[in-house]
Amino acid sequence: MTDPSRPRAPFAPWDRRELPGIFDVDETARRVGHYKWIETKLFEALGGWVATVPELDIKLRLGTHCYHHAWHAELMHKRLPELREMKPDRLTVPPNDEMVAFVDALTQPEAAELTLEKLVGVYRVLIPHKIAAYTYHRNNTSRITDAPTIRSLDFMLQDEFDDWRDGEMLIQSLIETPEDVDRAAHRQAELEKLLLAAGGIAGPGTIGDPYATSGE
Amino acid sequence: MRKSFPADDLARDERFNRVSQAERVQDPRLGGSGTSSRAKLTPALRSAPDRARSLMHGIFTGEIQALEGAGRTCFDFEIGAGEGEVPFELKLDMARQCWDEARHCEISVMLADHMGTELGEFTENTLLYEAACNTDPVLRLTGVNRALEGLAIDVFTTMKDFGTIAGDPVLEFCEDWMLADEVTHVKMGSDWLRNLTAGDRDRLDRALEFQRVVDKLFSFNGLRGEDDESPIQLTRRFREMAGFTDEEIDDIAELSREAAAS
Amino acid sequence: MTTVNVTPSDFTMVEFRVEDIVAVAERVIMQADLSGFDQLNIDIDEASPLARASIKSVDPLTLAVEGGAFEDTRRPRQLSEDRTADTIGRYVLKATDRINGGFSDAPSDDDLTLAQSVAWDVYCVGRLVKAGFKGQRKRRVYQFRNRHGFTDAADAAFDELWTASGLTWTELETISAAACEASGLS
Repeated sequence: MTDPSRPRAPFAPWDRRELPGIFDVDETARRVGHYKWIETKLFEALGGWVATVPELDIKLRLGTHCYHHAWHAELMHKRLPELREMKPDRLTVPPNDEMVAFVDALTQPEAAELTLEKLVGVYRVLIPHKIAAYTYHRNNTSRITDAPTIRSLDFMLQDEFDDWRDGEMLIQSLIETPEDVDRAAHRQAELEKLLLAAGGIAGPGTIGDPYATSGE
Repeated sequence: MRKSFPADDLARDERFNRVSQAERVQDPRLGGSGTSSRAKLTPALRSAPDRARSLMHGIFTGEIQALEGAGRTCFDFEIGAGEGEVPFELKLDMARQCWDEARHCEISVMLADHMGTELGEFTENTLLYEAACNTDPVLRLTGVNRALEGLAIDVFTTMKDFGTIAGDPVLEFCEDWMLADEVTHVKMGSDWLRNLTAGDRDRLDRALEFQRVVDKLFSFNGLRGEDDESPIQLTRRFREMAGFTDEEIDDIAELSREAAAS
Repeated sequence: MTTVNVTPSDFTMVEFRVEDIVAVAERVIMQADLSGFDQLNIDIDEASPLARASIKSVDPLTLAVEGGAFEDTRRPRQLSEDRTADTIGRYVLKATDRINGGFSDAPSDDDLTLAQSVAWDVYCVGRLVKAGFKGQRKRRVYQFRNRHGFTDAADAAFDELWTASGLTWTELETISAAACEASGLS
């Protein structure tokens, strides 16, 4: 029979969470604000594109994905006051002007024959970058102090992976000729360059610095 | 991408054929009514299965436009408290509505198949989306979420009853689920109408007047009403759940009676 | 050779052409081997967008058709060759059934129950499909289920009627009634 008065360690032997994480409260809030901003821009664009896309299956997928990203924006919006930002709008901003330029370019296509360009921008450029940014964040923030952000990011990442797969399959289904391959590649390169200039969805350092070595 | 997207440009594949309301009304056979039958939709009618198929196809194209309209409301307005701006939370509701309408489209496609209807077998009328193009978000909400989604409550109830009487478990099941969503959407519209017009009586009056115009347009010359013989039944109980007052429901019933008499 | 007559000779409310309707009717008669009538008169009420039709007389064979029965549901007021063939084919087949014997004990069209009427439609359209016309099978299944139940028994009865040939009224009626009974509708 278990002795209820017997002391146990506060962390079970398999629980290896550590302190501290690499982000303080302010840095976390800054990043969360950028995430909310880009998720908002994305769900707005997906919603706007629904009417412009003639392919019925894609039209319906965009409607579904629109909500996913709105929910992500809502999760980040609700997290901001918990990070001492009582006016969430103050931090709901792009990291820099280059990011605004990226979003402007991303959302520029409207014509019915530009579905491929619309999808490539979202599913081959933006969503992979979001997956990278959220993964970097969840792996580097403290699993104890910032557990609420991690929990939200985990939900968001699940959606991102699912939506990325949906979108990639839609793109592959639209590519029927070598010229289509070129179109997709050109569009991807065009937007990747803009996002490179922005430094990622949270600005420079979005996924850390791979050249920083310990002891430097 | 432009802010505000005109109904004429709604993207469709080649299966769909659009007929404007003007063309419909100008059909010399219909005496300006724009519709072909005033009999209540019940399985006892010889033409009932085909009328149900046609109505279901109309619901399908209506769901596409509702999806497009909700999507445009996510995009067309900036976030803020000024004229022509909307709260962040309203956009979240519209995004949620996008997902709901996308599911309704999926359900409608499967129902169409169940009923032996090909996509595009019947014409599409873009009147619903046109009501979703107003530049004032409050008018857009009242036109779409209260007038048109309110109509959807009535139509889904009619179709659900049809499925029940015909013994069609698939139709009954699907309509019941879509009906639940529509009540939610109408309630969203009612809540936002109150929220956005608080302290602004003029704006509230303009919105309610616009709703009245849309309600009248969609009364289909009296096809919708509370009388037993009305082809589309005005559904009091669900409208009350969705935030309509008794006076507002009386008003819609009266509009339908007036339309039928004119 | 069956002579096909269409009235009116000019249409003003719909964009139908008499020669198109005659051509479809002649194709139906030839492909479905329905040459048992010297004359086929088709009286069209172009003012009606409804899709009703009926046999006005068997000798001479005269069909009363509301314009919606020939109309393209995708393009208002335009003729649909498929729907025209379907409507003419069904009614000429029904008239042929009646004069060829085996259906002498069938009630008049007005006295048919909804289930009997739909069952006969299915039997007719099944034969038209075999003759090379489109049949909108799923649409017919839905109509049949509405009158015979959304059950496996009803679906089996549909298949039997859809693939049948040479049925008598008694056989057709028995299949329909059995499906209704199995679905708890009788």
